[in-house]
Amino acid sequence: MVSTYAFNGVQRPASRLTAPQDLFNSFYHNSSWACLRETRRRYQAHEKKPKLTMEVTGSDINALILDYLTTEGYPSAAAKFSKEANLSPRQEEESVKARQQIQHSIHMGSIQDAIEALNDLEPQVLDKNPSLHFALLRLQLVELIRTCNSTPGGDISPALSFATTQLAPRAPTNPEFLEDLERTMALLVFPPDNLEPQLAALLHPDLRRSVGDQVNKAILTSQNQRRDAAIRNLVRLRAWAESTARETKKDLPARLELGLDFDEDRPENGEAMIL
Amino acid sequence: MTNSYPHGSPGVPDTGMPTGAPGLMPRRSSYASVVSGAASALSQQYQPSRSGAFANLLNHPDFAYETSPQNPASHSRYDPRNFDMDYNTNGSGRGRSWSGGRGGQLPSWSSAFGSLTNGPGYGEFGGGHLDTFFIPSYLKDSKYVQKLEEAHKAKVLAHKDGPSAHSSQPGSLSTSASSMSLHTKVVPSHRGMTYDSYRMDKKSNSRARMWYLLFRGHNHITQKRRVCSIGIGFSSKSVPLSRLPGWEPESWAYHGDDGNSFCCQTSGKHYGPPFTAGDIIGCGVNFRTGSAFFTKNGDHLGTAFREIRGKLFPSVGMKKTGEHIRSPFVFDIDGMMSYRSLNAQTDKLSKQDEKKQIRMQIEATSTAKLAPKLNETELIQKLVLQFLQHDGYVETARAFAEEVHAEKKALSLDANAIISGFDVKEDEDAGHRQHGDVEKALKHTNAFYPHVLKDNEHVYFRLRCLKFIEMTRQGAELLKHTNSASNGIKKANGHNYYEEYVDHGMELDDQSQNNNNWDKMDTEDSTNNQAEYDRLMGETLLYGRDLAAEFKDDPRREVKKALEDIFALMAYKDPFSSKDVSHLLDPSGRVAVAEELNSAILLSLGKSSSAALEQLYQQTTVLLEDLREGGGPGAFVNIDDYANPDKPLSRF
Repeated sequence: MVSTYAFNGVQRPASRLTAPQDLFNSFYHNSSWACLRETRRRYQAHEKKPKLTMEVTGSDINALILDYLTTEGYPSAAAKFSKEANLSPRQEEESVKARQQIQHSIHMGSIQDAIEALNDLEPQVLDKNPSLHFALLRLQLVELIRTCNSTPGGDISPALSFATTQLAPRAPTNPEFLEDLERTMALLVFPPDNLEPQLAALLHPDLRRSVGDQVNKAILTSQNQRRDAAIRNLVRLRAWAESTARETKKDLPARLELGLDFDEDRPENGEAMIL
Repeated sequence: MTNSYPHGSPGVPDTGMPTGAPGLMPRRSSYASVVSGAASALSQQYQPSRSGAFANLLNHPDFAYETSPQNPASHSRYDPRNFDMDYNTNGSGRGRSWSGGRGGQLPSWSSAFGSLTNGPGYGEFGGGHLDTFFIPSYLKDSKYVQKLEEAHKAKVLAHKDGPSAHSSQPGSLSTSASSMSLHTKVVPSHRGMTYDSYRMDKKSNSRARMWYLLFRGHNHITQKRRVCSIGIGFSSKSVPLSRLPGWEPESWAYHGDDGNSFCCQTSGKHYGPPFTAGDIIGCGVNFRTGSAFFTKNGDHLGTAFREIRGKLFPSVGMKKTGEHIRSPFVFDIDGMMSYRSLNAQTDKLSKQDEKKQIRMQIEATSTAKLAPKLNETELIQKLVLQFLQHDGYVETARAFAEEVHAEKKALSLDANAIISGFDVKEDEDAGHRQHGDVEKALKHTNAFYPHVLKDNEHVYFRLRCLKFIEMTRQGAELLKHTNSASNGIKKANGHNYYEEYVDHGMELDDQSQNNNNWDKMDTEDSTNNQAEYDRLMGETLLYGRDLAAEFKDDPRREVKKALEDIFALMAYKDPFSSKDVSHLLDPSGRVAVAEELNSAILLSLGKSSSAALEQLYQQTTVLLEDLREGGGPGAFVNIDDYANPDKPLSRF
């Protein structure tokens, strides 16, 4: 056979195409190559297909997660995630780790270690930020008081001397410092198991966490990084949007479910089946 | 509409009085001057708040349609703050041009423009630019502008339906957008060819950090696009108006005839392209940096002048008879500057800054309502972990759970306390689904989710289509190898799991068994490849025929479309290099199908198909959308500003 079909610039011997063409005709029930040409033309018209929204959202959220893991100091999770999600890391694992170490020391209550590590990492942070420095020292005092409270008849002299040498000279510079110091010293006066809530809060680990967060943010600021993880903003925005919408009497369902299982123990049927 | 001012101005009584030449202007349109339009715009911009940008969009005549009926709240909300006292805000049609409230003060613009009579040409001009829609770059992604644009399109449609409505009643107090277009025009002067400049009589206010005005040149007499001698810029009050701005000291301008920029002297510097009738020229001045730029039809032309000082007035100069300009869009361009850079300077005004206030409000919002039992940190940890598990980031989830556990342990006061860590028991299946270890996941799917594919016909259909695509791909790859005549034939075996996936998952049809044979082709001599290819093509076609037969009666259009799409693959000998269809072979298509299957399986398990974090994101989007209606506080909140880690947040 001499004739050829020209298709997209490619010459095909007609003989080879006979069989597929017949088959194709049967696909279309009385259609022919013209039909394919038609299809092809339509393709040329809309060459680029819009991205799937799912992908877009997915990658947005991946960025959000990586940002969170990096900013809030989960170095190994951040490193793993950037690998698994194929994202380039936002910060060196080392520097995330360094921050995390400091936070960890604060969480553990070893404030002295934290201060030293912080001075090694970013020496200027505490100098530039007296209230942060004071918060750290105050937490150190709280930890000293905690130690002496935990042993019956504990010696309060380390706490006292720390307060006089480290905190007292700084307190007059700022009325808030003075108030904080006085309140902390009250911990020595009252019995530890019967404190008013305001004082009890000082002994709660949340204080460690909040000081740890402050230090973390200060480091990030001095490294010119974004302070707050975007996910925090998102969650707050979500809470704000809902309450504002309710205030303005928008038509909302009584409760918007987050889709988190708060009930962890509920057996998941799928897993049960697999396991 | 009548003008409350005497014609012309007392200062320069004899330059081009339009009253002298009514006969020369058969199509005389309104002479509402650019002066009045831009001046009112400037007064809007006294407000430093970013909200001004939106308010301007809302209130500007060209956007007015968007607000009036459905959005009364936003009107009442922003008008009082954004207009000066002497600006008539009642919105009743022509009341907008600011003839009313200025008391006995004489207009200080001093050149030739005439009465503010309304003419029959009006609607035409106004309608002419309805089909353009200008989006300032800094608003480009904002949902708000998307809405404006939609409304605009609707308006255009509506306009097409009834174009005669405006022109037929030129004198009425219609509030339509077109009737409020602002024009100024050089009128034939008794002295023949002159330069006439116009200066807006509202000076720049130091509190306005920036203004940005857009003009569109017109020549209503020649109606031709030709070089026009229009100079657009700004000048101080002392500059005579008999020459184009830019030529005189204390005036700066961009001239249309040569595209040069003139900085207080008669010799210009090369700056941008020439502009002519029909072009939209923007003139922006940043008073903070003392620099100015121009835009032509939306393209930023770069900084034109630096070290601009003084009390400046937007100025326009024109030369040729019939040239006139319109100033159709005016808006505050504060947002062009980054929020942060403004911050330092506007601390004093921050209390008025609504956007900032809202941001602070949001930052202070407690998340207690979202999850009463958890504090914010715990809630976020939970969300993140759930997302990681849900989407199958197994390793990360494990590492994260460990780190969170360590953190909790460190925080606990009692070293011996048992901290209930997160449940690290993995949903291994999720991992397989996501990451292509499909063979393993497949066994699970096959054994445990047999109903999934029955219940989710579209997933089934897409899997089948995918299979067809994969068959075609195999054929094409085979052919490629044959053609390249390379002996070391390597087939992309990595792709085959999908083949098996499809086989096992669906027990498709008789020929899927053959697929296993395809793998053997690796070892076969390339001379056999041709035969193999033919066989493959035959099989593919057979498969395609089955597919077509199975779904041929399906009424859904997307099914038909998808079938046509994939069959188009057959039309190409080398689909990889045919850009028309090669996207079908893109591996991302597989991911999409895999994700769909993943969702379907999760749904069948009674789990939500999207992670809680994703839901939270979507809910937020929808809630903000709701808040945006009516111009409430949500109008200024863009989820991207909050949830995009790459956007810097201002610091507080």
